[in-house]
Amino acid sequence: MSVAGVLLQQVPRAQAEPVIAVEDLRKTFRVAYHHRGALGALRNLFERRSREVRAVDGITFSISRGEMLGCLGPNGAGKSTTIKMLTGILVPTSGRVEVFGLVPWRRRKEVARRIGIVFGQRTQLWWDLPLVESFELLRYIYHVPAARYAANLDRFRRLLDLDPFLHTPVRQLSLGQRMRGDLAAALLHDPEVLYLDEPTIGLDVVAKQRIRDFLRTINRERGVTIVLTTHDMADVEQLCARLLIIDHGRLLYDGSLEGIRDRFGLERTLVVDLAGDENAAGPLEVPHAREVRADGPRRWLRFSRTETTASELIAAVAARYRLRDLTIEEPEIEAIIRLLYESARE
Amino acid sequence: MAAHVMDAARRLAGALSGAIALYGHLVGAQARSQMQYRLSFLMTVAGAFAGNIIDFAAVAIILQRVPRLAGWSLGEVALLYGMSGLSFSVAELFAASLDNFDRFIVAGTFDRVLTRPLGALFQAMTEDFRLHRFGRLAQGVAVFAIAQQLLAIPWSAARVAVLVLALVGGFGIYFSIFVLGAVFCFWTVQGKEATHVLTYGGDFFASYPLDLYRGWLRRFFTFIVPLAFVNYYPALYLLGRADPLGLPLWTQLLSPVVASIMALVAWRAWAMGMRRYQSTGT
Repeated sequence: MSVAGVLLQQVPRAQAEPVIAVEDLRKTFRVAYHHRGALGALRNLFERRSREVRAVDGITFSISRGEMLGCLGPNGAGKSTTIKMLTGILVPTSGRVEVFGLVPWRRRKEVARRIGIVFGQRTQLWWDLPLVESFELLRYIYHVPAARYAANLDRFRRLLDLDPFLHTPVRQLSLGQRMRGDLAAALLHDPEVLYLDEPTIGLDVVAKQRIRDFLRTINRERGVTIVLTTHDMADVEQLCARLLIIDHGRLLYDGSLEGIRDRFGLERTLVVDLAGDENAAGPLEVPHAREVRADGPRRWLRFSRTETTASELIAAVAARYRLRDLTIEEPEIEAIIRLLYESARE
Repeated sequence: MAAHVMDAARRLAGALSGAIALYGHLVGAQARSQMQYRLSFLMTVAGAFAGNIIDFAAVAIILQRVPRLAGWSLGEVALLYGMSGLSFSVAELFAASLDNFDRFIVAGTFDRVLTRPLGALFQAMTEDFRLHRFGRLAQGVAVFAIAQQLLAIPWSAARVAVLVLALVGGFGIYFSIFVLGAVFCFWTVQGKEATHVLTYGGDFFASYPLDLYRGWLRRFFTFIVPLAFVNYYPALYLLGRADPLGLPLWTQLLSPVVASIMALVAWRAWAMGMRRYQSTGT
């Protein structure tokens, strides 16, 4: 999948007022060591051995009001733990975390009133009740004024097309419908920040697109700050002007999607189609590039940003061979990120 | 100054009525959810009710064979049974959701609870409200009425006061045990049976006169898990009996004090458990 040509959503990097500020955040868990088997279970009773796991290991970033930010990283990288500390579910081992200038775990309820959360794999809706009843209950829980509730519900019904299943018990909804319901539920109380944990997981292409469109609209219309974790690069490409990459509890990258290519995707590939009569026998010989693949008249030449530019290389190739066509392949972001994970592992 | 106090009182009343209304909404949602499965719901209610009747019938049959149980008549045992039943059933009604607190933590539901602007214990209490628990309350009322029929207790203001305080205290003691059982789950999610011994088992133990049990068990239910204050000591007062174990009269009035201590312990323990959860995540 190539990202060339995909327009990044331009989100106003708003007034420098940070909604979320995190500084040298750390979270260490003690994981008990368990012996296996029947005898092991007995040993576990008497012997308490444990090791430390640094789930979040010194992360610093801040998020401004109105940003849409993607949080990427392999499973167990520390994304969820970070979000749990931002929402006040977990107390950090050390470091500073502030949301709206409040320390989340100390002022849990106050922060909770001003944020919304959607977990892709879990619903916060009442399983056995019609969808609309969950909305009613959340209205009581968050003390949403009647007029505000009516206006919000009306807007979300249209944006998310909820009407066909508004009165259906949640357990009978499809995954996509349930996710739409969960999104509306998380936004009824006008949260300033919306956390989404893998919001498009398991959805089909159409459903994914609908969710992404909705998030963009909400961000634009209401200025809701959106923080999402995902494994789906398309989510990031289409939604997030800014990207955090986390692995092993560390922040590997904080910046734009394009920036990641400049910084880590150093190698590009020039693909040339040789003209019909030009049938070079061996690999093409061009300075600062090497042929990595050949398929008849089509050749792939890899080159590095630090050694030459695309135009210099094209000129060099064209001076030696007659060409019919050429394209430049940017490295896939996914491949770059994979490399990033792997290099961090060493 | 007076205006301040009035204002604070008004705000407290507002907050309290708000909490009660919200409790009603959340519990109502649970009730409606259960009604969705109509047959299952009806069978559970019928089953719970039948179970409770059989439960008491067993006691009645034993007492008809052995008219006195450690010196207690059928009516007197019914009084113990009814008092414990009333306190326990109301506590169960409010707090038995906490019985599933282990599943709650394992399934990650508790994380969601912490992301809402409400007290965590309050939410945990409303998560699994069961209508059929009213069956036990009905049984408590019925057995208490039988006891009154058999004993014809001469009610005075003092006796009514002791009864009411004993019922409220008993509620507090059982409720605290439910909370402590949930707190246990913050450390290990495998201790459910141990808690059941003290909740459901506790109600069973308290349904019989304390002097039926061996000394260490009596001391256990007086000083460690003070279930004897749910019904046994106040019942002695209501019946005008001296304590066969020789404790002074004022111990028969201690239920509210004991319940307050239990509640304080449960509250502190819950706070400790919460701190542990928020620092370990499991």
